[in-house]
Amino acid sequence: MSHFKEFKIKWGMVIDIDKCTGCGACMVGCQVENNIAPMTKSDPYNYVQALTKPRDDASNKLRTLTWMNVYELSNGKSFPEHETAYLPRPCMQCGNPACVPVCPVVATDKNEEGGIVSQIYPRCIGCRYCMAACPYHARYFNWWDPLWPEGMDKGLSPSTSVRPRGVVEKCNFCHSRYLEAKDKARLDGEDPMNLPEGAYTTACADICPTKAITFGDLNNPEHKVHELIQSPNAFRLLEKLGLHPQVYYMSEREWVRKQGDNYNAEAGGHH
Amino acid sequence: MSVARRTFIQLGAGATVGILFTPTVWKALDDVSIWTQNWPWIPKLKYGAVEAKPTVSKMCESGCAVKVRTVAGEAFGTMGNVDNPLSGGGICPLCANGVQVKNSPNRIKAPMLDGQEISWEKAQEVVAEKLAAAGSKVAVISGDQTGTVNEVFSALLNDKGSDAFYVMPCDMQAADKAWTGLMGGAGQVGYDLEGADLVLLAGADALESWGPTVANLKSFAANESGKFIFAGPMQTKTASVTSKWVPVPAEGMAAFTLGLAYYVLQAGKTVGAADFDLFRSMVMSEYSPAKVEAATGVKADQMAALAKQLLTASNPVVVPAGPVAAHGAAFALNLLLGGAMKALPEFAKAIPSAMSRSEMLRADILDGVNTDLLFVYEANPAYALPEKIKAGFTVAFDMVQTETTATANLVLPSLHPYERFDDLASPYGLAAATYSLGVPVSKPSVNAANAATFILGLADLGFETFEEVLGAKVDAIGADMDALQGGEAFVVEGETPVAASLAANVLGKAAVPVKGTGAVGLVPYTLLSVGTANRATTPNAPCTISNNQLVGDHMVVMMGSATAKQLGVSVGSMVKLSGGKGECEALVQIFEGVMPGVVAAPLGLGHTVGDEFSKGKGDNVYKILTVSSEAAAGASTWAGSTVNVAKI
Repeated sequence: MSHFKEFKIKWGMVIDIDKCTGCGACMVGCQVENNIAPMTKSDPYNYVQALTKPRDDASNKLRTLTWMNVYELSNGKSFPEHETAYLPRPCMQCGNPACVPVCPVVATDKNEEGGIVSQIYPRCIGCRYCMAACPYHARYFNWWDPLWPEGMDKGLSPSTSVRPRGVVEKCNFCHSRYLEAKDKARLDGEDPMNLPEGAYTTACADICPTKAITFGDLNNPEHKVHELIQSPNAFRLLEKLGLHPQVYYMSEREWVRKQGDNYNAEAGGHH
Repeated sequence: MSVARRTFIQLGAGATVGILFTPTVWKALDDVSIWTQNWPWIPKLKYGAVEAKPTVSKMCESGCAVKVRTVAGEAFGTMGNVDNPLSGGGICPLCANGVQVKNSPNRIKAPMLDGQEISWEKAQEVVAEKLAAAGSKVAVISGDQTGTVNEVFSALLNDKGSDAFYVMPCDMQAADKAWTGLMGGAGQVGYDLEGADLVLLAGADALESWGPTVANLKSFAANESGKFIFAGPMQTKTASVTSKWVPVPAEGMAAFTLGLAYYVLQAGKTVGAADFDLFRSMVMSEYSPAKVEAATGVKADQMAALAKQLLTASNPVVVPAGPVAAHGAAFALNLLLGGAMKALPEFAKAIPSAMSRSEMLRADILDGVNTDLLFVYEANPAYALPEKIKAGFTVAFDMVQTETTATANLVLPSLHPYERFDDLASPYGLAAATYSLGVPVSKPSVNAANAATFILGLADLGFETFEEVLGAKVDAIGADMDALQGGEAFVVEGETPVAASLAANVLGKAAVPVKGTGAVGLVPYTLLSVGTANRATTPNAPCTISNNQLVGDHMVVMMGSATAKQLGVSVGSMVKLSGGKGECEALVQIFEGVMPGVVAAPLGLGHTVGDEFSKGKGDNVYKILTVSSEAAAGASTWAGSTVNVAKI
């Protein structure tokens, strides 16, 4: 049974894979914006460090915190027919999220206007059911206390609270920027429920040097994303699962589109 | 008193019901939940006015035009500056982490003489004394490709009667040696990537690490009708978004380019250069498709198809990288095609006695440096050129600790770009001469000083502070200081390039592929998320480095399955690479986007000094590069490096 819920405003992203070079600027921008601590091997506050196991650093990709992640795709062919592509992956902000119904403490929900899947950190008990449910691996468990080496905590963004160890984190489309944009609209006497293109954008879309990431209201015909998702080259990841992601991808390359749907696009899709 | 079982159950049930209905327990649980999320060691946010202040960042080699985001005056983030053509709103992954580097514990906190902290006054005395004793045996190595700070250093050298100004090996240097040195051209070469309808990136990884990367990416995105083709030994990140990848070995790029010129000349293209006839006969006889195919492995029909595309394009451009010969060949081809290559005028100098940019690029650091007194400015030769540098006394200016500051006699902490006055004058590769200004947007975090102001205190160069020098520079180029401080760039359009010669004599000899004697070719590549020769991985970048570069603390090298089979290795094999005068250890990854007979290795890992984000991660590929001589062009190159690979 579908739990699909429609919203008047549906913030979404269109990522043009044919423009993404996988440079990693979006990942860095996301971490800085959302106060994701650089992972450190040592814990400056643990005075018995010698007696305990060292923390994982970012070399351990199984325990990294990267709300935005960039995957490398390959067409699987040998030299010289080989092709490669890069796929940035934020949270899909699914219309019918798999993570929401499995949360035993209602720490995650999709009730906010804009269709953003929220994560309420103080409620999270760290059971990680949502991580198991998310087919996009877009949720991350905070294995370690978010510690910045001495002095680096001066450079914290005022936008996002620092999450403690033991909770699940995820991309929220830089939600604090949405709140700021709505506040600004109210102050300017404009309608906060009808933000113009560019009034609210995410850190990754902002920083991307090729502008491979376009952000806006998928329901608003005046926003570029509304038009982009009509393209025959637009697709969503694992469309067949019926989660209705609000992140779309674009590629002129057929093999990229096929991999995006795990080669199941022609298998009937979700009904 | 005895308690009956019934009474016990009644009390238990009552207590359970009581617990369910009293808010105390739930409140306590909620409090515990909140309390355990607010441990004292979890950092608290700082609130206040949020601003975005324009300046320039010099973490990457070309520099980025940025806006630094501050809260209550404290910098916390970096964003692109849409008002500046270098940015278009985007920034590179190195500069995106500028604030984190500024606040890093790896910052050098005070002047250090032989490991002991000293005052700035004492440092000035020591350097003045060494300078007096060294006479003209003074040299400078600068890691800055675009700053007026180089004018200050070169004016000091001039004052001492020395011309030993070195830059770290870079494409701007090879381009200058080819363009102004061999071909008699004027100005700095640039490429109009946005206006071209066909861009052949001949080895230039322009959308990842070559030239003004962010401006290139912006041009690539804006140029929706143009076609981009990448030629090189590896399917780089740039190649992943271009419409075609043409596999060409790095040492064969000049021959490949002249192979394309063969078809262009055959189509009747001419150019008004003194040695055009000589060039034509040299290319037609020495770089026929069959000969180029034999030398480089690139099929003649592939070159013919590519040349046809170049000939039918209305505004094509070829963008070279690597050796001087590869640059010369590309410039000759661009002149024949008459496309989107530009010659940029050089901005006027602020200090009359300073060298011009071309003069600064003249000395070849790969030939080695031997001097009594050496100034190293924000470069890391001890990491990238460990065998090449010898100095009686080394003064290293840098923000953070590096292999060079660890071995220098005197270490002087320089201000971070967000804390200082600085500038970006025409980053190499842009189609227009572009000048941007950097101003302090954050208070200094450590006892650092502006390196150029320190140098101005050592000799009478006509200025007291670097800020004055920048004022003179802005006046000299005719720009508006207020607009520059507001984040705008001063732009002078490039001109149609004119060369006196096509360097036929030199290219005829220098374009022949020169390869080492190792079992396989080595393709070193640069990713800005990993770092550059001068800057190590930044704090937030390690998680962006993929398993194709680093697994745990082990470097990863990539090769095609045919090469792996030839070497008897497979995915995950630990191998030792031997080349140059060193060895590296790495894990093997199969990537079919690497030419057969070639192994690709990332530059920038393997730091032995630095912070926990870069130190001890992977191995240093600079150790296994081989310097070979481009004798005819009078230069040295790393192209053609080879290695032996042994499974361990």
